[in-house]
Amino acid sequence: MGKATVIPFGPQHPVLPEPLHLDLVVEDETVLEAIPQIGFIHRGLEKLVETRDFNQFIYVAERICGICAFGHSMGYAETVEKLMGVEVPRRAEYLRVIWHELSRIHSHVLWMGLAADAFGFESLFMHCWRLRERVLDIFEKTTGGRVIFSVVKVGGVVRDIDDAQMAEIKRMLEGIKDDYRQICDAFLKDSSVKNRTVGVGYISHEDALAQSMVGPFARASNVNYDARMLGNGGYGELSDFQPVLDSQGDCYARVKVRALEVLQSIAIIEEMMAKIPAGDIAVPVKGAPAAGAQAANVVEQPRGECYYYARGNGSKYLERMRMRTPTSQNLAGMTTALAGCDLADVNMIVLTIDPCISCTER
Amino acid sequence: MGLQTEFLSLTVDALPAFAADRKREGWRFVQLLAVVTDGGFDLVYSFMKDGVLENYTIQDVTKDTVVPSITDQFLAAFVFENEVHDLFGINVKGIAIDFGGTFYQLSQKEPMTIISPEQKAAREKAAKVAAAKAAKEQGAPADAAKAAPDADGLEAKLAGMDPEKAAKVRAAMEAKAKKEAAAKQAAADEKIAGLDPEKAAKVKAALAAKAAREAGAQAQAEDPAPAKAKKEGE
Amino acid sequence: MTYATKSPWVIHYDGSSCNGCDIEVLAALCPGYDVERFGIINTGNPKHADIFLVTGSVNEQNIKVVQEIYDQMVEPKVVVACGICACSAGIFHDCYNVIGGVDKAIPVDVYAPGCAVRPEAIIDAVVQALGILEEKSKALQAQKKGA
Repeated sequence: MGKATVIPFGPQHPVLPEPLHLDLVVEDETVLEAIPQIGFIHRGLEKLVETRDFNQFIYVAERICGICAFGHSMGYAETVEKLMGVEVPRRAEYLRVIWHELSRIHSHVLWMGLAADAFGFESLFMHCWRLRERVLDIFEKTTGGRVIFSVVKVGGVVRDIDDAQMAEIKRMLEGIKDDYRQICDAFLKDSSVKNRTVGVGYISHEDALAQSMVGPFARASNVNYDARMLGNGGYGELSDFQPVLDSQGDCYARVKVRALEVLQSIAIIEEMMAKIPAGDIAVPVKGAPAAGAQAANVVEQPRGECYYYARGNGSKYLERMRMRTPTSQNLAGMTTALAGCDLADVNMIVLTIDPCISCTER
Repeated sequence: MGLQTEFLSLTVDALPAFAADRKREGWRFVQLLAVVTDGGFDLVYSFMKDGVLENYTIQDVTKDTVVPSITDQFLAAFVFENEVHDLFGINVKGIAIDFGGTFYQLSQKEPMTIISPEQKAAREKAAKVAAAKAAKEQGAPADAAKAAPDADGLEAKLAGMDPEKAAKVRAAMEAKAKKEAAAKQAAADEKIAGLDPEKAAKVKAALAAKAAREAGAQAQAEDPAPAKAKKEGE
Repeated sequence: MTYATKSPWVIHYDGSSCNGCDIEVLAALCPGYDVERFGIINTGNPKHADIFLVTGSVNEQNIKVVQEIYDQMVEPKVVVACGICACSAGIFHDCYNVIGGVDKAIPVDVYAPGCAVRPEAIIDAVVQALGILEEKSKALQAQKKGA
């Protein structure tokens, strides 16, 4: 008969890139339950719509999260365009998809590095991030920024990618794909990695549905939902899109889903670059959102489905802008996955939901 | 193709039964948000199934309204219900994991309900401008016949007229513009004559500079830098 | 050069950053920019660290955490504020829950602005911090001798 102790985890922890506090109620080495405490990154930026007009707010929206920065700027721009009835040129939609899929690649490879660090495989962490630098080089060549690009505006995009750059990107992606397969093998076939991930943090399909989980976290438990299936914006032009699913429901499955999604994203980028139409990259946006108009939109970010809501009030300041990010939806799932696990596995499980606490708290 | 969104309404009393319904039919809970309105708050619950996103708005929720929690059906809602309680002060009862107001530790209580005076003023000004614009557009057809037509309207009219008449009208307009300018100059000269000589000289110099600037600005419409530099030098 | 500046260990903490600067700090440690060739290791224990890399601004909930980590570090120590949010709260300066830059919580020695701060700027800031660390170390030794 053991006594239950409470071990605080975070907010400063070598494996956590962001502050998250968990109170782990532990008996011997088993975690009985985990109570999350967030709020360390709450800045309150949804209120900034009152002081920044709808064109300026896109810079704030990008800085909700540095890893999913492009996804937020794209989601915000699409929502305001829906609100005001602006039709974005097709070339701009294709460019947004290309940048968004590159963003997904960089985010998943970043995550894989952090996951490797979480179970102690530091050299794999270094390899992943070395590969990721090449994706950041593509970003720098096309947008000028490595992390936050500021390349989307309401009405289209700000910069174009010309044919020479597209050929360059294609060549770089080929090289990245080859090196990436080696990293994938290390994750999916190595026996020491399997020892740390197989059977750890299991969530069943029914639990995943009951907890309303989203993203690769849910797809690893066979929940067939990916917001890209809905065909918003440029995603409607894809010839065939099937979400990557896995039915094992444990940490290994989540690693596998993300690893395969990188390859899927590379394929999507190549398809988009082959089909991109010529044309304008933006339309001018005049006027302001009508009073009482509402719009809602979803975007599949690397961590899952992100919901945006905008309401106008007749002036150039939006009445309300709301971003509901995937990690806030997955917090309930995380607390379920942590119940009953080993203390040593807490790192791995917390990281496999790919927590982006700055997104959650805004 | 694409996302279908619908906006529908709901009442607080119907909420628990409604949530149970959605759960039974297999809808996924997406989110809960609150908006500050004139009548209190609007709560928007969103659910999604098979590519259709439905947003249900409960209007005119006040701080006294007791909103029942839906965490008995959808556990994931606890994050949003705690947040809505902390940031807006909405009273949600029965949350499964209830932080009791300490979900976020904030510098101000219920910060989303605080609207600073500058923001209020900016919003009211924008609302006034929008209202005036709307009123003008409504009243425009009646006034157009009477009031002096603006340049575009006039051009359209002239284009439609017979060429000789159009030339005469244009000549008359130019003469009128010249007369008005001359009258303005005469008035200004009278005023300057009435001033004390040093001041008069200064005013004349300033007017001459302004005229030169305007001519320069017209000539270099594409290149605002020198005009701006001149302005700053002035 | 004193022993501390030959291989300083860093501890990194994210205040209320958007993560952009955090991933650039980690990217500085990774093979692309590789500060490990200077002997810099990222440690999780404040008592082992010489340089405190802080990103993000300070809000009501994390001001105590930042102060706690700073207090747990052993003298001599330097603080580098990475990114404009750590220097002065950046574009969030008028948010209701942001108190300000990190210097509202702890004394900062080097400010490295940028959004997100580039790894080259971080390396430059760390090198400057090493100079300050050396001065502090000498002052501390002189104080010990004097006392």
